[in-house]
Amino acid sequence: MIHVEIAAETLFTIGGFEVTNSMVGAVLASLLLLAGAWYINRRSALVPHRLQSLLELPVEWVAGIVEGSSSRWRGYVALVIGLFLMILVANWLSLVPGVGVVGVEETVEGHEVLVPFVRPAAADLNFTLGLALITFVVFVWWGVRLHGPVGYLKELVGEPRYMAPLMFPIHLISELSRLVSLSMRLFGNVFAGEVLIATMLALTTAAIFVLPLAFFVPAIFLGLELLFGAVQALVFALLTMTYITMAIAEGQGDHADEHEASDDHDAQPSTTTASSPA
Amino acid sequence: MEPDDENDLGTGDKPTGRSPQANWGVAFDLGIRLGISVILGLGAGLLLDSWLHTRPIFTLIGMVLGIAAAMYTIWDAAHDAMRK
Repeated sequence: MIHVEIAAETLFTIGGFEVTNSMVGAVLASLLLLAGAWYINRRSALVPHRLQSLLELPVEWVAGIVEGSSSRWRGYVALVIGLFLMILVANWLSLVPGVGVVGVEETVEGHEVLVPFVRPAAADLNFTLGLALITFVVFVWWGVRLHGPVGYLKELVGEPRYMAPLMFPIHLISELSRLVSLSMRLFGNVFAGEVLIATMLALTTAAIFVLPLAFFVPAIFLGLELLFGAVQALVFALLTMTYITMAIAEGQGDHADEHEASDDHDAQPSTTTASSPA
Repeated sequence: MEPDDENDLGTGDKPTGRSPQANWGVAFDLGIRLGISVILGLGAGLLLDSWLHTRPIFTLIGMVLGIAAAMYTIWDAAHDAMRK
């Protein structure tokens, strides 16, 4: 029977605090990242060896992308790389044999179900919402830091001021939709992947004559999960970068446009005239 | 990366251009945010109506604001892209 619980299952409690299997997944991913960081810190060489190059590759790649986003990129590059690596490792952890399939049998509503010891962290909305909240707080903080609390509120209220009763709720919904979309997208994709693999395993082991399919059909979907895990980690990290970049640029953009238009007009009047529809 | 600005957080406020990967991210984001904006507006309207017993006034207002927020999201993304 296919059973994938939408909420993370509680494994045990410590003084009233429930420890779920997705928390175990998140802690394992963190420990793996810490081990990698410790290794790089202790064993790194000026001329990197093979393992060091492998560990540095994703960091340098994401740093290269973030570098081009804004002149203030050093202020948020660590967050973007940290989010990317955390989500990547947490997603790929679900492909390790034993994760999601080794656990204890429990009876739920008269059915025997397996409660796995480890569940992919991003298949729990609490984890993805936590990461999205960090992103939300950081990009709001960048906006407030650069434009001041009053300037940030002015951005939310919009121009002209008499439109504020209409524009403020629209801006507020638009800002909150970023938080919800970040968390729901990651959770939805990872959880859907878990359901898909469980379904494929159940279908290919349902009858003896389809059993040979169980050796390669789930493998195709596991391969796709490898790709989707990396894509989702990248999307989350890049959207974090984009939101922070937009928070930095907001308020400056319109003035920058005016300056740019003025510069273009002064520098290339003939081009502007030629490209004009009139 | 300049070696002389190791500890500098930068001073300019303008984006220096967005990578193609970041544009994919915005494209992935835009579709889902349209739906979420409408759901958020509608949800807030339903909550207000159940709290103030004014159904369907705030539900309708919330839905309109949600749709407007979705339109604004598209405009904001387009404006940001044209600024690059």
